[in-house]
Amino acid sequence: MNAKRPFWASVAGVTLMQTIALVAPSVVTGLANPVGYAVILATSLLTVWFWEGLFAALRRRKPSGHGITTALIISVLAPPDLALWQLALALSLGVVLAELVFGGRGFGFLSPAVVAASLLVFSFPEVALAPGTANVALATIPGAILLLFLGLISWRVLLSAAVGAGVLLMLSIDGLDGLAIAAAMTFCLVFLVCDPTAASATNPGRWMYGLLAGGLIILFSGGATPTTEGIVFAALLASIFAPLIDHLVVLAYAKRWKIADA
Amino acid sequence: MHYTIRQGDWPSDLDAPVQAIGDVGLPDTVAVVGADFPGLRPSFVVEQGDEVTAGQVLFTDRKHSQIAHVAPCSGTVAQIEYGPRRTLSACVIKRTAQTTTQQSVPLDSSTEASVRDALQSRGMWPAFRTRPFGRTPAPDARPTAIFVNAVPGVAAPDPHVVLQARTELFAKGAAVLTVLTDGLVHVCQAKGTPLCPITERVHIATFSGTAASALAGTHIDRLHPVQSGRQVWTIGYQDVVAIGYLFATGQYAADRVVAISGPLSNTPQLVQTILGARIADITADTLAEGTNPVFRSGTPLGGREAVFLGRFDVQITATTRSAAPRKASWLSGAKGALIPTAALDRALAPRVLPVPLMRALSVGDSEAARSLGCLALIEEDVAILSQLCTSGADYGVLLRQVLDELMEDAA
Repeated sequence: MNAKRPFWASVAGVTLMQTIALVAPSVVTGLANPVGYAVILATSLLTVWFWEGLFAALRRRKPSGHGITTALIISVLAPPDLALWQLALALSLGVVLAELVFGGRGFGFLSPAVVAASLLVFSFPEVALAPGTANVALATIPGAILLLFLGLISWRVLLSAAVGAGVLLMLSIDGLDGLAIAAAMTFCLVFLVCDPTAASATNPGRWMYGLLAGGLIILFSGGATPTTEGIVFAALLASIFAPLIDHLVVLAYAKRWKIADA
Repeated sequence: MHYTIRQGDWPSDLDAPVQAIGDVGLPDTVAVVGADFPGLRPSFVVEQGDEVTAGQVLFTDRKHSQIAHVAPCSGTVAQIEYGPRRTLSACVIKRTAQTTTQQSVPLDSSTEASVRDALQSRGMWPAFRTRPFGRTPAPDARPTAIFVNAVPGVAAPDPHVVLQARTELFAKGAAVLTVLTDGLVHVCQAKGTPLCPITERVHIATFSGTAASALAGTHIDRLHPVQSGRQVWTIGYQDVVAIGYLFATGQYAADRVVAISGPLSNTPQLVQTILGARIADITADTLAEGTNPVFRSGTPLGGREAVFLGRFDVQITATTRSAAPRKASWLSGAKGALIPTAALDRALAPRVLPVPLMRALSVGDSEAARSLGCLALIEEDVAILSQLCTSGADYGVLLRQVLDELMEDAA
């Protein structure tokens, strides 16, 4: 071994990089409502780390800090007036069901933040997730570039989701406000739809996964601009289909060798 | 035909060796090491303390008694060590000066039977490895193609330099190989003058690009994929010279030109030595004083820690001993999940789907791994995955377990 392993070639390194990417959007969200944001972030962090600590203790492992990304994402998505018990409940179910029961970060097939946000909306119909704003979207861009550079999100998913959403919007509605749509989608697209553990893991699969997610976003949002709820549900449904998409890609690949043989 | 390989890039901080062959004298100790032939169970024809001459049979494969493994130099059998289940661990020979000179008698290479018999009984058969599985071929197996790997890897000897004075022997060896197969003999090399004359049965393909361009798995994937049940053989270019020498003179040639590099070598260079040489003996001149190096035999990424030069290796890396078992720091995270990153998608040159393959290997699903094309790979091909994956798993070991399972099913 002559060169060192890349420092992000570990689960903790990936979490660290995602956390760095999340700093800017979190700060922008926090500045808009410092006290409310601080309370929500503290509740989120306490909740995810409580469950991670509990599972680590039960499994006699070292506690990990991977939940920090889930907490940061949820804090950006949560409305400022959200009841803290609702947040804690949805987040608990999210991290436990989507991540910890599978063995921790990366072992599950869903993004815990997506599951927590979905549960929040499902369980409490009065809750409306914070719509994506232009400031948050702008703050997401540097982080997105960092993650793209390290290969922790796939440009294929990003592009095909944008194309899927754009095409469906153009077919259905006239007179679109492109900037507003981009502002509404950017954060959720980068941190929810592109989550590497939830997205497809093959390149052809990533195109299909992105198109599916993009299409579902418009389908679930039902309006000229995508809603955060719509994107969350689209990410949830698309990532449920991601393993199936990968399986189809694998079958198609396996067939190639059979044909070569004949 | 030229192929540029873009996948499998791995930044290397090794200095390229000076491409001139240095003479460091012969090593005092050599060994035939079982790690090169996993699963091989030897039946020895010599005993500890016996005198042997270069090319004399040390042991045969218990399953195929035709296949002989021979002594690389004359000396005394110092140690015979068995591994678990009577497999070979190592057979160590203390070298003594050669006393008798053998006569040069050309061998008959006209018929397939005579070629096979000569290669098997005179110790050149273990130079071949099969794809799939990467094992010594059965005595009666017929490959659909033979791949000669003469693409220089990172910090490896340049075959053009090594073969300079031996082009005729190389061409003769390549001609002998055509007898063993119905298909082609592919000589894979870097751009430049052809290493041997192109004939109807001996083709030349050139490869350039990343470190993966020097892996036989890459050549096979581009020229003659084996996923669909074909078998091909691979052989190193220096072994082709040895085969040429065997048929020209009737004598076994254990010569090997090896590159020595790594952070601890003062001047990365090429040395002329013999198969199975004790690495400490041949590197003494090039290492800084007072160092306590660890030697890796093989490619910088896929090589293993070794005392003796590996059978299929042409390069040695001298690195510092890593401090006592690395403590799992927060960032190193000993065991984790596989998080699909873009780097993994670009890691493998053979056309397989890396992440599904890695998942199949980690759970030991041999059927899925087979349909994903794991038969095209051996440990050296997937060494880069172990470096890039967040899980910290050793995919070489996992791949070998799956291949062993598939090999048992096939048998």
